[in-house]
Amino acid sequence: MKCKNVHNKLIFFLEKELPVSEMEQVQKHLDECSKCARFAAEMRNTLQILDNDKVNDENPFFYTRVKERLSKQAEEQPAVRPVLVRILQPVAFSMLLLLGVYGGFMLGQAPNANIAGSGFTEQEVIPYWNELEAEPIEAFLME
Amino acid sequence: MSDTDIIDQLKQGSEAAFKTLVDTHQKLVVNTCYGLVQNREDAEDIAQDVFVEVYRNIDKFRADAKLSTWLYRIAVNRSLNHIRDNKKRKWFHSFEDEVANKRREAMQVSTSNTDEPEYELENQQRAIILKEAINSLPQNQKVAFTLSKYEELSYQEIAEVMDLSVSSVESLLFRAKKGLQKKLYKCFKKKCL
Repeated sequence: MKCKNVHNKLIFFLEKELPVSEMEQVQKHLDECSKCARFAAEMRNTLQILDNDKVNDENPFFYTRVKERLSKQAEEQPAVRPVLVRILQPVAFSMLLLLGVYGGFMLGQAPNANIAGSGFTEQEVIPYWNELEAEPIEAFLME
Repeated sequence: MSDTDIIDQLKQGSEAAFKTLVDTHQKLVVNTCYGLVQNREDAEDIAQDVFVEVYRNIDKFRADAKLSTWLYRIAVNRSLNHIRDNKKRKWFHSFEDEVANKRREAMQVSTSNTDEPEYELENQQRAIILKEAINSLPQNQKVAFTLSKYEELSYQEIAEVMDLSVSSVESLLFRAKKGLQKKLYKCFKKKCL
């Protein structure tokens, strides 16, 4: 058996998952090839870590913590609202919204009865805009 | 008390039954989570959530199913969610945090030869490499490998937990071991093992 074949089968050899004849062939190769034997030893040591890497001890406070988490979640859950409130609240908000939109339309369509004040306001505002144009922003900031 | 009795009593709201359930299955759930997230504190945290979920959804549990299979499934799903969320969070972590975390995780590996510091150091190095190799496996392979190695479940049991056929599990485990072997050999060639 060649080194490459052994490398492909090594993990299954270490896990004893190969047929007997192949197990013997790999073992024979490992006895003869020092490089493959070193890799096999290293692989065995590495995989053995998994055997020690398990949670064997139990946390004595585990149940208390689970209970604490349960009660905390129960506290955080909002109280069940009555069905009427759950239905009426969105309906009321929707009606208010519709009323607002309808009111907006009505105001927009209203005849221009009294807009005397608006002309005056326009005249008062324009000079300020003109002044802003005349004055460069740098000078304004320096001041 | 059998699993069926525990479930029946739990459905009636018995707190003693819940305590029995937690006490008898704590190790199973924590170990499964630990195999996947590779951190003891995180594993216990997830395991607590698993039992909370069991308590809340006990009415949905089918009488014909095995309690342990249900627990394994919840534990696996919760652990995978945790890993996914952690990946997102890692974008904001510095490289130093990452190295410190890896070192802490490696320190958690208990070895029998504590009198030999050199051996201990070598083992820590091996543990880091092995865990990285396991973590780099595709999700399904990683789950199958963890259930097989950490919980020593049979192919049939893994198939039930993962809702797959036995031959699919065989194939997953075969590919997982091949992948691990390839990664460890690469490392051996680069002399990092």
